[in-house]
Amino acid sequence: MFDVLTENFDAFASGLWVTTRLVFASFVVALVLGTVVAALRVAPVRAMQAAGAVYVEIFRNTPLLVLLFISFAGLRRAEVDISAWTAGIASLGVYTSAYVAEALRSGVAAVSRGQIEAGLSLGFSYAAVLRRIVLPQAFRTVIAPLASVTIAMVKNSAIVGASLLALPDLLKEARIVNSNTFQTTEAFFWAAVGYLLLTATATVVFRALESRYAIHR
Amino acid sequence: MSRRRWVPVAAVAMVMALAGAGCGGDDEGGGSEGTSQGSGQSQKSFEAGTTMARIADKGEIRIGVKYDVPPFGFKNPRNNQIEGFDIDFGKAVAQELGVKPTFVEAISDNRIPFITDGTVDLVLSTMTINEERAQEIGFTDPYFIARGRILTKEGSDIKGVDDLAGKKVCTALGSTYEETLKKQAPRADLRLVDTYSECLELIQNGAVDAVSTDDVILTGMIIQDDSLALVPGEELTVEPYGGGFKRGDTKFAEFLNGVLEKYKSDGRWQRAYDKWLGQYTKEEQKPPDATLDQALQGEVT
Repeated sequence: MFDVLTENFDAFASGLWVTTRLVFASFVVALVLGTVVAALRVAPVRAMQAAGAVYVEIFRNTPLLVLLFISFAGLRRAEVDISAWTAGIASLGVYTSAYVAEALRSGVAAVSRGQIEAGLSLGFSYAAVLRRIVLPQAFRTVIAPLASVTIAMVKNSAIVGASLLALPDLLKEARIVNSNTFQTTEAFFWAAVGYLLLTATATVVFRALESRYAIHR
Repeated sequence: MSRRRWVPVAAVAMVMALAGAGCGGDDEGGGSEGTSQGSGQSQKSFEAGTTMARIADKGEIRIGVKYDVPPFGFKNPRNNQIEGFDIDFGKAVAQELGVKPTFVEAISDNRIPFITDGTVDLVLSTMTINEERAQEIGFTDPYFIARGRILTKEGSDIKGVDDLAGKKVCTALGSTYEETLKKQAPRADLRLVDTYSECLELIQNGAVDAVSTDDVILTGMIIQDDSLALVPGEELTVEPYGGGFKRGDTKFAEFLNGVLEKYKSDGRWQRAYDKWLGQYTKEEQKPPDATLDQALQGEVT
């Protein structure tokens, strides 16, 4: 069991590092885009709401693997020189951002309507009401759902490595170890441990955020 | 509850219909595949008790081939016929026996069981001759020598395996080329994917600089996209293909090798090569003259 890990430690370590960078960069993309889209969805303008809804429905209802193909093979064929890294981060980020947007929207919905009206009547612009009053509270209520989204994203990152992007992520390195050693159970066991390290870290971070910021109603 | 009473009746009817359809399908399958090049020839006679006599009595030879490896064995989407280099040689064998050939799909995983359990009489499915397989089945002399090659876009600056250093090279995860490339081009940036069609996509859209695997598979890619070309002269591995049959059937082996000799010497081999490979790769190749023993010893060049 342990010899598969020690003999192929470099492979597993580099795979874990690739997955970590991929997940981290995608998370930043997802958080930024998700916040913008959530703001659109709760905006007082019909067209903005519709744009936000269309964005969410497109990216939440498209398989990640299809997004990866379109963003990589499709764009490259359209003469856009996109790298496997960029395509991977963009696809995973955009895909996850739809879920982040929905989580945030639920958080916004949880902030009572009266606060928005109070803010507006005090002369705040709608953007300022969102930024200063609603979103800070929304973020607090959505820490737990965001943790779920993040954990799902860590696991979805394996699809990036399995796609034609051929990024040497943790799962791909495990499959290479498997094809070299034929020790299937061990290779995938250690890959699972690697993913568990990442998801456990995410869980611990979100727990800490929750105990510090969460609103208990 | 009249509905319930009908269930067994319906089931029996269905089984009978399926069984009937199954039989019909088999006969028809043989008929449609067998372009029966042997028809019109007189019945040939073979020494009683040999595999040849048994096949001649039956009137058909069952040959296991690939259905998805152009240009060796593939289903032509235009006419739904099985075609390719392996199929042409299979037809030549059938003609020599005076029977019609029936082609059966044999993938890499089941072709050896197909031989040992008698599902097929012969396998012609891009099968590399090696010692491990020779423990299970009999081989003919090599009828084709495939080679591990490098495919690039035309005009690429990759001229050989040494130029792969620092370049992105695609091959299939778990294939023998993963190991071969790690040994012969240790500084290449390997991109390992699940299927060769993904490698084709990656080289077409410029995400990798080269693809490496059997020249037979690479030729299939050139047929798809003629802006791709083989790197001339560079060979990573040598893969002699042999026909497979039941182990120890020496009379059948002699017969098949005789057919192969004739096939090679009267120009049919060359015509098949030009038709299925040469016109796409713009390369020339002579029929292989290596023997089975040389192939097993790894002495084929």
